[in-house]
Amino acid sequence: MSPLPGTSRMEQLVESIAERVVNLVLDAVDINALVGQVDMDAVLSKVDVDGIVSKVDVDALVDRVDVQKIIDRVDVQAIIERVDIEQVIERVDIDSLVERTELGTIIARSTSGVASGVLDAVRAQGVGLDDFLARWVNRILRRSSADWPVGPAKLIASAPVGVPGTETTP
Amino acid sequence: MTVASSAAAPPEAGRQGNYAGGVTRLVAFAADIGASWAIFTLALAGLGFAINLVTGKQVDLASRQILALVAIILWEFVYFAYQWSLAGKTMGMALVGIRVVATDGDPITPRQAVIRTVTLPLSFLILGLGFIGILLNKDRHALHDRLAKTVVVYSWDARAARLRWLAQREPTKPA
Repeated sequence: MSPLPGTSRMEQLVESIAERVVNLVLDAVDINALVGQVDMDAVLSKVDVDGIVSKVDVDALVDRVDVQKIIDRVDVQAIIERVDIEQVIERVDIDSLVERTELGTIIARSTSGVASGVLDAVRAQGVGLDDFLARWVNRILRRSSADWPVGPAKLIASAPVGVPGTETTP
Repeated sequence: MTVASSAAAPPEAGRQGNYAGGVTRLVAFAADIGASWAIFTLALAGLGFAINLVTGKQVDLASRQILALVAIILWEFVYFAYQWSLAGKTMGMALVGIRVVATDGDPITPRQAVIRTVTLPLSFLILGLGFIGILLNKDRHALHDRLAKTVVVYSWDARAARLRWLAQREPTKPA
């Protein structure tokens, strides 16, 4: 209860006037321009972030989070579908991976033997000799094979992605 | 002068589907002739032994040259046509990593395999000129390839060979 009669009405009047004044001031002020003039870096530099963080009990915070519930709400299938596996694989340097890791030993143990090594060597020599012969034939005939097809369209189109050496055939 | 990948260098990667060259094809053919003759000789020896065992008579094909010639021709036809129609490659071709496909890259049909087998001798009969296309044509067509509408391509996985070669070396430490 107010000590003097009519005080309550005065308060209401003052409040309504103050409210009106504040609205008028806010309408007149360009908040965006005002904020633009604030040096946020200077403001932030005065904030003791470490101090704030040190006061936070992260363990208590984490304890209050229901991680399982969050995981349940994540649609993993949708995420997987959005990942371009082909692009990821293309970015992997398999040669480097094999050279630097024990993966190489595993591959060597599982796939290589004396026979396959000899076979690879024979085939590689054959390809090399093919190229050598074709190069010399082209040189003798004074022609270029740069724009020749390297193979049947269907097979070249389905060649393994990222494999070098399919671009030209001498 | 470098003519091929040296022992110190990994095999060149990624030739699957490229037109195969003359040397590889020649090696494959030589291997096939060797294999087919070996099988024929073994089969003949086995047959002669069986006949001798059953009838007690010696089989001498040297005195029956026409029969031997027909048998060889038939056998070579079966050897090549059967393997081409079945898998698009013979034993020799599998050894050097090549195969026969249709000109558009599809697997060859049994009909194409038969035509290729029948017309293969033609490439020899015209003084070997039927093979000159392997060196001169951009799609490395021999005469029998052109008649059967086929091409020969590399089929071996050079990429896997490269990985095997890398794998056989000592692992290097990361930089």
